[in-house]
Amino acid sequence: MHIAEGFLPPAHAIGWTLAAAPFVAHGARAVVREVREHPESTLLLGAAGAFTFVLSAVKLPSVTGSSSHPTGTGAGAVLFRPPVMALLGTVVLLFQALLLAHGGLTTLGANAFSMAVVGPWVGYGAYRLTRRLGGGLLPGVFAAMALADLATYVTTALQLAWAHPDAATGFPGAAAKFLGVFALTQVPLAVGEGLLGVLLFRALLANARPDLERLGVVAPQPEEAR
Amino acid sequence: MSGLAVDDAAWASAWRRRSPADKLLLCLGLVGCALVLPAWPGSLLVGLTAVTLALGPARVPARTFGRAVRWPLAFVAVGALTAVVRVDGDGVGWAPDAAAQAGSLVGHALAGGAAVLLLATTTPVSDLLPALRALRVPAAVVEVAAVTYRLLFVLLASLSTIREAQTARMGHSTWRRSYRSSGALAAAVLTRSWDRARRLQEGLAGRGMETGLRVLPEALPSSRAFLAASVAGLAALVSLSLVVAGTALA
Repeated sequence: MHIAEGFLPPAHAIGWTLAAAPFVAHGARAVVREVREHPESTLLLGAAGAFTFVLSAVKLPSVTGSSSHPTGTGAGAVLFRPPVMALLGTVVLLFQALLLAHGGLTTLGANAFSMAVVGPWVGYGAYRLTRRLGGGLLPGVFAAMALADLATYVTTALQLAWAHPDAATGFPGAAAKFLGVFALTQVPLAVGEGLLGVLLFRALLANARPDLERLGVVAPQPEEAR
Repeated sequence: MSGLAVDDAAWASAWRRRSPADKLLLCLGLVGCALVLPAWPGSLLVGLTAVTLALGPARVPARTFGRAVRWPLAFVAVGALTAVVRVDGDGVGWAPDAAAQAGSLVGHALAGGAAVLLLATTTPVSDLLPALRALRVPAAVVEVAAVTYRLLFVLLASLSTIREAQTARMGHSTWRRSYRSSGALAAAVLTRSWDRARRLQEGLAGRGMETGLRVLPEALPSSRAFLAASVAGLAALVSLSLVVAGTALA
């Protein structure tokens, strides 16, 4: 769910762009450092960006009858860490605006803040917390994917409520309205995305363990255990 | 056929050979007008201008343009309705100026959306990325974005091939199977993307890549007539909107 072009008044559009900018700049610095140290990462990071874009084209069957599209930023945050996702997420949002007319240019800042900053950080926090509490990789991934998606949706609803407060009850009323309307599709989607994350990582553990080891997601297995 | 209708339209558009800077000036000008001008008549004028230019001189297929606005339209409709419904102790009702407010929201969103779509359907993303360099975005970041753009079509093709194969094997026949297939699909696309990136990297390293992926920039000269017409058109649009909005207020 992205805020469409022109849906935010100018002050909000500029404000959210300024709010997202430091996170995206931080991510850009992380990417520049990574590319300087390992020139081959340009292609791997590009692949990660393309994967995030393509993941939003995977259709998930949803309880509400229609199908929904995952945001995929939770998985990205676990695999590539939130700063890199802030940048890749913003690039993906720009491409979605220009290739799918999904989102917009003046609302890019607001969408980047919810999908590329809040989502990955909340997802990554949930992942680390689950792991620290003794949960395995898969419960951690479920928490990361589901909560990244939920946090993105809650942030978007609050952004909309702030921009368009309710005539009678102001911001709280508007927040309740937007959270309620989008909950119909977004809450089942968050659970669905968590499940997709578990299935994705289970397949990766079986088929691409060396890649997960390289990214530091799982510890290398001792030789004799293989 | 790349799989993304807007991208196909951009490569086939009659404005493909125009300078990206020219098109950026015109389209971002329209986006700015859609954002700040009053909905009546600003949004209407911006929307009409963008659609006329896209379907007329830029020769974007009307079908592509129409299909592309479906997604944002759903969001705009739901969002605008939610914004103008009033909730308080007495229950649910319309806000006092619901129609005007909804009209203004939808107008701004449709006009802005049409202006972005005019840019999107006339300019391939690979033409726009060099413009990011001018905004002082680091070269490494622009390169990552360029690789993303080029790889995503390969991955979209993988995605639809794998999904077709899964469907043919009853992989999406039930809810449960569909989830399992989607997980496998995402994993397969991710490992393929890594594999492809690695093979590209090895190929480039073998050809002596040291400092980034340099490609010969295409010469797309700027047109003075186009720039002058854009500036004049935007100025006329702004003044007409302000005059009409002013008389409406008076």
